Amino acid sequence: MEFLQSLVNSLPGVLGQGLIWGLMAMGVYITYRVLDIADLTVDGTLGFGGAVCVLLTVNGVNVWLATLIAMLAGMLAGLVTGLFHTKCGIPAILAGILTQLALYSVNLRVMGWGTSAGTQATLAVSVDKYDLILSSRYVRDWSENLINNPIVVMIPVTAVVVAILWWYFKTESGSALRATGANRQMARAQGINTSTATVIGLMISNGLVGLAGGLLAQYQGSSSVDMGRGAIVIGLAAVIIGEVLLRGHGKVLVGLLGCTLGSIVYYFVIQIVLRLGLGTNDLKLFTALIVALFLAVPYWKGKAATARKRSVNSKEEKNNARA
Amino acid sequence: MMKMKKLLCIALAAIMVLALAACGSTTQPSENGDPSSAPASDPAASAEPSENAEVEAQYVVGICQQMTHDALDQATQGFKDALNEILGEGVVKFEEGNAGGEQNNCTTIIDGFVSEGVDLILANATWPLQAAASATADIPILGTSVTDYATALNIDNWTGTVGGNISGTSDLAPLDQQAAMIQELFPDATNVGLLYCSGEPNSVYQIETITGYLEEMGYTCTPYAFTDVNDLSSVTQMACDNSDVIYIPTDNTAAGNTETIANIVLAAGVPVVAGESGICSGCGVATLSISYYDIGYTTGEMAAQILQGEADISTMPIQSAPNVTKMYNATNCETLGITIPEGYEAIA
Amino acid sequence: MLELKNVSKTFNPGTINAKTALKGLNLCLNDGDFVTVIGGNGAGKSTMLNAIAGVFDIDGGSISIDGNEISRKSEHKRASMIGRVFQDPMMGTAPTMTIEENLALAARRGRRRTLAWGIKKSEREHYRDQLSRLGLGLENRLTTRAGLLSGGQRQALTLLMASLVRPKLLLLDEHTAALDPATAERVLELSDQIVEEGRLTTLMVTHNMRDAIEHGNRLIMMSEGRIVLDISGEEKRRLTVDSLLAKFSRAAGEDLLTDRVLIGA
Repeated sequence: MEFLQSLVNSLPGVLGQGLIWGLMAMGVYITYRVLDIADLTVDGTLGFGGAVCVLLTVNGVNVWLATLIAMLAGMLAGLVTGLFHTKCGIPAILAGILTQLALYSVNLRVMGWGTSAGTQATLAVSVDKYDLILSSRYVRDWSENLINNPIVVMIPVTAVVVAILWWYFKTESGSALRATGANRQMARAQGINTSTATVIGLMISNGLVGLAGGLLAQYQGSSSVDMGRGAIVIGLAAVIIGEVLLRGHGKVLVGLLGCTLGSIVYYFVIQIVLRLGLGTNDLKLFTALIVALFLAVPYWKGKAATARKRSVNSKEEKNNARA
Repeated sequence: MMKMKKLLCIALAAIMVLALAACGSTTQPSENGDPSSAPASDPAASAEPSENAEVEAQYVVGICQQMTHDALDQATQGFKDALNEILGEGVVKFEEGNAGGEQNNCTTIIDGFVSEGVDLILANATWPLQAAASATADIPILGTSVTDYATALNIDNWTGTVGGNISGTSDLAPLDQQAAMIQELFPDATNVGLLYCSGEPNSVYQIETITGYLEEMGYTCTPYAFTDVNDLSSVTQMACDNSDVIYIPTDNTAAGNTETIANIVLAAGVPVVAGESGICSGCGVATLSISYYDIGYTTGEMAAQILQGEADISTMPIQSAPNVTKMYNATNCETLGITIPEGYEAIA
Repeated sequence: MLELKNVSKTFNPGTINAKTALKGLNLCLNDGDFVTVIGGNGAGKSTMLNAIAGVFDIDGGSISIDGNEISRKSEHKRASMIGRVFQDPMMGTAPTMTIEENLALAARRGRRRTLAWGIKKSEREHYRDQLSRLGLGLENRLTTRAGLLSGGQRQALTLLMASLVRPKLLLLDEHTAALDPATAERVLELSDQIVEEGRLTTLMVTHNMRDAIEHGNRLIMMSEGRIVLDISGEEKRRLTVDSLLAKFSRAAGEDLLTDRVLIGA
């Protein structure tokens, strides 16, 4: 009972983190599902967005503007990966890894801006000193700082992002992007510049991840060069959990909402695991198992359906033979 | 039918969670400290009201540790031992979370503590400290194993006290004393190479600080920063080629790769002075060492004062390790033909 | 209209797997020509179509449509002039998108894709009309995902998509080969109908000699990356499978025996 109570108490934190990572997961969804590319840039982009957002905020830039610029920074990272891929003929997965690698150095430089060493691995941004959009400080604050409560902030932000993406994917340009992911051969035959579409997709995806990075840094009060380590796995987990729970049959709107839901469920599970005192090494094993499980469930269901069909067919055949 | 399957999926996942978590919790004694230390404190504790084995916990302390690491483990242990000794066994209930080296998990763990309303949070290393500072302005936060609070918390005019609800201990061996040790051992050297990982904020801070001391003494300092394990050897080689002595701060990446460094510096015949004994025993000749158990213990003493209302955390300055020890690596000194003066302890 | 001059293509040059697919290929199509293309496996039929469509760069020669050189243009740029249907029914449509979305993509072939709405309301009526001509009942399934359609339905849809914006050239690459005979027959009828209505210049590769004889106004036969027979007009109308084989054996000589089997005569 006590355990359940404490779980309920931790729900606001789960929601806060889950909603922010939901944006990141949408970025992963756009490359992994819509564009059908495994883009590993995001591990670096998350930290890039965080670094840019915190650096600007600390230097007196309006925090909303800083967050917006974090998003643009993410898009820039996506552009680089896109150009590596389409203009230099580097396979997408490798192009993403290269940009991610490069971003590590870039992030050190960004956070070290203005320091004597020129590089810095972490940059703190205290909610006491800066007027942040949101902070984990206020995740349970339903009165005084309601407007900075991450849940209160993130629900409309998520709604706006989903609405814009949903609109975009219904436009001519967005349809071309979806067609590129669904069938590149066909897309080219219909006169779609698949290279351009791929670059645009990577930019939107990494823009979202940059935005999530900026918000996450404010939420946790700092950005660090290792902030995005393993982010792709969390994003993928959220995408896949969302898909299993919502089953959108490729509908973009359902897929995007699934990202947020999946991300919240993921953090809920992680919260339980951490509550139960699971150790360091087991945690990663556990994350891998969760993702593997959610990946396997649709496959198993597919197999079961075929088996059922087969048994029905063979029964019919037997009946026919008897007749 | 569809709904049923959905539920089944969730249930399946939940069962897996619990099953895995269950094996986790049995193998890891996470509450009430180290069981091995319990019998030892029996005679002392008999005077306390804990005559019967069951003691009602009066305080709940959340411990968030950045990752599993010898030094951090020792600091946590020292912290718990101090509280158990001062307040009595079982008076404090410890809730422990290990973030497994992921910044994100620190946020999740700290949020758990805040939602439960623990009486005090121990933030063991930089990320837990940052996450805790962001998450609460009310619950007292004590940091440990943090080198530089000013950088970690973005404080401009550093006075030695954080203020608010934060204080703690630093794992820094006084850098002026480290510089003095370099002068004592290598008075004739001119070029000192500073080898560190640019990705570690603590290292950057130490390098900047010690450069000031060394240059005052007349040395020429050159920083040699590597970004990760992969360019460690080439950077180390470059440092060897251009330095008479190399200094390595309390750098986690260096600590994890002392063999790589040793193979290069010993071959080049360049001695290394290290910021902590782990690095020194791997590839160094001498170090000024602090004990993480000691700083953890000091942090525990601070916690006891705060919990009992004897001290106000907002006015408590950041404390350093109570003792430093000059240590040397006998094997490496012999290899390089270095004679160590009196007053140094050999690293076991 | 379409002119191929001395086109050559070698895959994997300089390796043990080097394969010369087109060897100095020359072909000239007149406006409104419906040309059927036959030939054995590896004769270069599909390679020729892909070279025209721009799937790969050719090694030498030139390809022009209406006098404009296109051999250096990218595939998606050429698409504004060329409609294509592939052998694999999976290849012509986006499976995760609906029928109307697929048609809307095709309706914008050759135009800039802007941020305007992907399908306008007025378009739907047009699509419904067009789909009803296929006689497959697809006009009532505008929002069905293309991935749920049968192979024949997809080929019919692809055919419609290829001709929705009138192409200067229609390329049909064995587009009935993967279908069962009855469906193949229906899709061929549709092809005839669409080609006729639009007076489309068409190249249709087929593995079936009878189809090659019965459709179109001109027939070419390929062997080893070259055109070895080119029959049109009255001569084409009087062709039979046997007379075609006889002509082929004169033109290609010793290849006959193997190719006869492969062509499926």
